[in-house]
Amino acid sequence: MRGRLTLTTAILLALAATAAGADTIRIGVNEPLTGAFAASGTYVVNGAKIAADEINARGGVLGKKIELVIEDNKSNPTEAAAVAEKLITSDKTPVMMGAWGSSLTLAVMPKLAEYEVPMLVETSSSGKITTSGNPFVFRISPPSALEAETFAPMVAKLGMKKVDFLVLNNDFGRGAAVDFGKMLKEKGVQVGMTETMDQGAQDMSAQLAKLKASDSDTIMITSAVDQLVLLFKQMAAIGLKKRVITTGGSQNPDQIIAQAGSAADGTLHLTTFLPWIPEKTPDPKATESFIGEWKKRGFQFAGVTESFRGYDGIRAIAHAIEKAGKAEPAAITKAFWAVDFTGLNGPIRFAKSGPAGKESGQSRPDVYLIEIKDGRVVVPTL
Amino acid sequence: MRRLLPLALLASLLVLPLLLQANPYLLNALIITGILTIGAMSLNLLLGFTGQLSLGHIAFFGIGAYVSALTSLGFDVEIGFGHRIVHEPWPPAAGFLLAILAAGACGYLIGRLSFRVRGAYFVIVTISFAEVVRLVALNWVELTQGPLALTGIPAMSVGVPGLGNWTLRTKLQNYYLVLAVGTLCYLLVARLVGSRFGRAMRGLKENESLALSVGINATRTLTIAAVISAAMAGAAGSLYAHYLRIIDPDVFAFSTTVSMVIMVVAGGKGTLMGPVIGGLIFGLLPVALRPVMAPEAQWIVYGIVLIVILFVMPRGIVPGLSALLARRRPAPAPLLKPSPAVQR
Amino acid sequence: MDQLIQHLVNTLVLGGTYALLGIGLTLIFGIMNVVNFTHGALYTVGAYLMYLAVAALGLNFFLALPVAILGGLLFGAAIELLLLRPFRGSDIDTTMLVMIGAGIALQSGTLWVFGGVAKAIPSPFPEAPLQLGPVSVSWLRLFVLGAALGLIAVTYVMINRTRLGLAMRAAFQDADTAALMGVNVRLIDTATFALGSSLAAAAGALLGPVYVVFPQMGGLAEVKAFAIVILGGLGNITGAAIGGFILALAEELGAGYVSSGYRDAMGFLIIIAVLLYRPTGLFAKAERVG
Repeated sequence: MRGRLTLTTAILLALAATAAGADTIRIGVNEPLTGAFAASGTYVVNGAKIAADEINARGGVLGKKIELVIEDNKSNPTEAAAVAEKLITSDKTPVMMGAWGSSLTLAVMPKLAEYEVPMLVETSSSGKITTSGNPFVFRISPPSALEAETFAPMVAKLGMKKVDFLVLNNDFGRGAAVDFGKMLKEKGVQVGMTETMDQGAQDMSAQLAKLKASDSDTIMITSAVDQLVLLFKQMAAIGLKKRVITTGGSQNPDQIIAQAGSAADGTLHLTTFLPWIPEKTPDPKATESFIGEWKKRGFQFAGVTESFRGYDGIRAIAHAIEKAGKAEPAAITKAFWAVDFTGLNGPIRFAKSGPAGKESGQSRPDVYLIEIKDGRVVVPTL
Repeated sequence: MRRLLPLALLASLLVLPLLLQANPYLLNALIITGILTIGAMSLNLLLGFTGQLSLGHIAFFGIGAYVSALTSLGFDVEIGFGHRIVHEPWPPAAGFLLAILAAGACGYLIGRLSFRVRGAYFVIVTISFAEVVRLVALNWVELTQGPLALTGIPAMSVGVPGLGNWTLRTKLQNYYLVLAVGTLCYLLVARLVGSRFGRAMRGLKENESLALSVGINATRTLTIAAVISAAMAGAAGSLYAHYLRIIDPDVFAFSTTVSMVIMVVAGGKGTLMGPVIGGLIFGLLPVALRPVMAPEAQWIVYGIVLIVILFVMPRGIVPGLSALLARRRPAPAPLLKPSPAVQR
Repeated sequence: MDQLIQHLVNTLVLGGTYALLGIGLTLIFGIMNVVNFTHGALYTVGAYLMYLAVAALGLNFFLALPVAILGGLLFGAAIELLLLRPFRGSDIDTTMLVMIGAGIALQSGTLWVFGGVAKAIPSPFPEAPLQLGPVSVSWLRLFVLGAALGLIAVTYVMINRTRLGLAMRAAFQDADTAALMGVNVRLIDTATFALGSSLAAAAGALLGPVYVVFPQMGGLAEVKAFAIVILGGLGNITGAAIGGFILALAEELGAGYVSSGYRDAMGFLIIIAVLLYRPTGLFAKAERVG
């Protein structure tokens, strides 16, 4: 018995030893690689890898190579917190990127405060993330209020009268319904029902039947690409023909076109990146080289609208480490405030957000409205 | 020998953190393993000693976690017809006690049920119970926050009136808390199994009609076993909630029940040390395998190991090993008597 | 009213595949006394085989379906030969745990091989639905219903009209006597498990194109299959067929008129209610075993 125990201890200690050392700068990546958001998380990770390889090819940061420590949070908040704990305590990463979904990011945030390690938030859109007074959070994706603000001028042009919401039953979806609902009411648009769906739900026919019976002209949907594909197919199947606008920027329109086919025709999407028209992006050269590299690696073009976040996220982190002059959490946290470069969807520099003294960083990316028309992505003329 | 093993293990576990202090990750793995091991011990009471395979055991664990978290966080929820229940936050220790009571009450229901439906029916009804509870946790967003997860759960604090209050924030404190609760649970099970009640449980498992004929009250025995088992699982759930300080409906995942079942069956069901040994091995196995293989490959190994153990040591590691040891030794140790008496 | 008719149409489509799942599971329980915890994993395997055949090999959709079903059959036979045969004579709890182990290994195996990203199976049917007055139903779903009913009919004929079916029914009623009468009970076990598995795979292959295919899809399907089997009475094939449609109806109406969040809870509530008030299932017959 005692023999077995000392053996266990020995294994544990050996494991502990392997975690330390190595002459690289480690960056933790906390993304959903399985579960409901697996597709999106995988895209982000692949984008992050491109950024890391690019930076290392140019000689790394502070003379050291960067190394991504990638962990799967299984699309689950508790798991996301556990992954953060593991990255910080076992892998000793001085900075992290994550955690895709708003509920996942919110679950990680107390760990950041506990260990005082900064995290770059690349996708999450819930307003709560940058308003709850966590000074270790730096976000490059737009909060849904910012998306709503950008969308506001288009409301009248689209002639929207009454809107229903169909959103994910989590911080991402509910947050979007609240923020867009507020903006729409200010614009004098009626807000009808808000239907929710579970992140793993496959059959939304019941919600869609209710939405079909409603007198609204537009349905605003907030979810990730896999569920959107199912939704569009099921809408077509029950003959639901209303204007559809999706929010959140995780639509991957090309995947929708490939998988939902004509069912997606005429849908409108609020997105944060325009890979279809590289010349219209803030840094056309970088956009083209990123898309080129993405294709060279054999990934589907559809993933670009999601993977650029991982790419920009790692680039922003590298900038912060460079400015910090050393790979330590406190120095990097401070250096994030000095980051200033042009990302693939606009300038990346952090403005203070949230309660004074404990502000989080929020960057202001561009938001665009696109339309799927005859199996292609176009920018609608309003 | 019998008494020495648990004592030696306890002593090792007491000093282990001194060796690991520099490594919070391993301490974290040990705490989670410890909490799951308490769950396994509670499951063993039903599965090992009464022979009822409850595959919804995670329900008690999860109910404990949610009750404890909500007690200490407070809530304000509408119950229909305009009435509201408003609960102000109570200290976590109160949550711990309520978790035990609430889980025990659910155990009472399942215990009553186990008399009505047995075998495969009991298994399926327990799975269904756990799934219903999970779906309630997922959908009653006003109370449980649903998939948004309950966050900001306070750390466990223990207070002695007149002496002050201690909040257990560090891993080391939580480790010893889990070890203390685990030891208490072990002693409770040992005491219970050795008592008249324990003989009644085993009697029912070995030969129900015989047990009934000598005047053992089956319903009462099974119900009491279920209540104690559920209460212990609830206590483990409470520890889990206040340690992680975040819980979401996935706390009810079927896979966690499976982990506990594997711990019990692999360690040796119906033995006192079985779930502890099984819990330590299978709780720490993922940590040991992590650098070697991907998580999905680990689960493949998990599944195969379960089958192999059932094949090679159908009674589990602890009885299997003691039988092996005994065969080698000239003087047979007392614990391998093939008597229906409990093997420690 | 329109909404109700729409729900009823959905019920029919969903119910067909549920019935397939339930029949497979109840067959295995009735004849082998094994609670098959690989049922969900085999459902997943069926869906992935369909995906492989259609998307990767470029096989015709209608040819891919029998390929997936055959794959499920072979998988089932392999599981029975490798894992259940060595445990013949063990108690039901042991075989249940063996099946849990196998189910975990299979599910993690699909995750390992195919990754966590969901896959879509293209279907040859037009996107525009069939419009019948106020009700619309997609051609794909109609095909799924037809195929499911066809497979149920084939299974029924096989059990009631063939020599193999006769032997199965004999083993179902009394395995020992059947063995004495010259029935090869071991072969019957393998055949039963393979048949049950192929029905699970068929359900997965049929629903895969309707939804998307991902490694965890079998988990919920498995518990639903349990609900259906309990509803119909363990080992009762006709009961399982009807149970499939009742569960689908409860889910559709529950989601449509109560709350869509509790859609999946319907099955479990049914299980608990049935076991409390009619533990032998709604359609108990004398032949029920277990």
